[in-house]
Amino acid sequence: MAVAASTRGDAIRDMLGLVARLGLATVWFISGIAKALDPRTTLVAVQAYQLFPDSVAELLAAVLPYFEIALGLLLTIGLATRLSAVLSAVLLVAFIAGVISAAARGLSIDCGCFGGGGDVRSDETAYTAEILRDLGFLLLAGYLVARPSTPLSIDRWAQRRSGGPAQADASAGSQQPA
Amino acid sequence: MAQGNNKKSNVKPASKGIQPARKPAAGRQSVAAARSSSSNNRTQLIIGAVAIAVIGIIIVVGVIFTQRQAAVQGEGYGASTQSVASANADGVVNVIKPGAKPKVTIDIYEDALCPICAQFEKQFGQQINQAVDDGSLAVNYHTLTFLDPNSFTGTYSTRAAAALLCVAQEDGSQPGRYLAFHSAVFNPDTQPEESGTDDLSNDQLAALATSNGASADAATCISTGANVAAAEASATTSTATLSAATNGRVATPTVVKDGAPVPELTADWLSNLLSQS
Repeated sequence: MAVAASTRGDAIRDMLGLVARLGLATVWFISGIAKALDPRTTLVAVQAYQLFPDSVAELLAAVLPYFEIALGLLLTIGLATRLSAVLSAVLLVAFIAGVISAAARGLSIDCGCFGGGGDVRSDETAYTAEILRDLGFLLLAGYLVARPSTPLSIDRWAQRRSGGPAQADASAGSQQPA
Repeated sequence: MAQGNNKKSNVKPASKGIQPARKPAAGRQSVAAARSSSSNNRTQLIIGAVAIAVIGIIIVVGVIFTQRQAAVQGEGYGASTQSVASANADGVVNVIKPGAKPKVTIDIYEDALCPICAQFEKQFGQQINQAVDDGSLAVNYHTLTFLDPNSFTGTYSTRAAAALLCVAQEDGSQPGRYLAFHSAVFNPDTQPEESGTDDLSNDQLAALATSNGASADAATCISTGANVAAAEASATTSTATLSAATNGRVATPTVVKDGAPVPELTADWLSNLLSQS
């Protein structure tokens, strides 16, 4: 297989991919665990966006922290990196849309991105910073969607493993006549 | 002998196995590539399926955990029937069963506009009613007002705190009256939204009290705003008490017991306090 892939460019891209993957994993872990530890606050934070009826907000507030933790876990071990990165990007775009809509409607809330959240005094809103931060995370997700193969990942291990035996078969076949 | 036969018959497939090797080299490589790519596709499918299963399992476990954490405590108990309330000079409202010697006394710090306080009331209100009624719990209610600026009128927290004080002073000796009005003020369906488009006027607060059994005297006290200054003073004192107990962190709801905040208001914080004492 592509043994000759160890050029300098590939090594750098590998390193970037690893940093993006683990960076995004850390973001999801921190934000997911903070939300999971304080479900009452998370519910209030979701309700503060005033986008959903109560029953939907309750379900969303219960699911969201663990979805984030699951993404963090998958990215950490590098399982289905492209799928995880796509889901991360979808979630981040939804967050950005939520914050923009809160800003557009003149709500005075904290995004609740890393737990906490809910209403804050209007001079404490930080919509621009929240959106820029989410765009930064989106960049990490985008990189992984484009180039999901990273070192120290189950994806790459499984790829080598499934690629390996097929090649060994072929070489064994050519050796036998000799 | 039988073993020897077996060995012979084993050789035949092996010699057949060599035959593909005699095919042209290009053909052999494309077979290998096809096998490799179909094996890769299968690996991708398995990885995707495992990933989706991991996400599903974590979410299901998490939602069950969350629902247990959010479970309403004392569900079905309803309103307090035994408690009486009295306001001290600082405007702190003490709620207790007359003649009882409760094992546990807690101080609850709330703001009438705080949505998490309403969730707290929804989850633990009935359990508190029950524990007070059976004489095992006494509660000191401190009503803070720091969310005033977030209310539509800019004064809702203070006016609601004044209304609670009115009911405690005028009707506190009537069993259950104070806690009934307290539950109404912190009902998520009644509570005004922060940064909302309206809140409750003093007359509306008075009407809410009346519909929860308050006397005409209490209603007059609320609608005239008689206790607004007292509520402000009380909030200032209580903010200082809370700040001293929490190293300066003023947030609601906070439960303080023996001068220290209850760290995590998990589903079983009150049951734990009651069973430990």
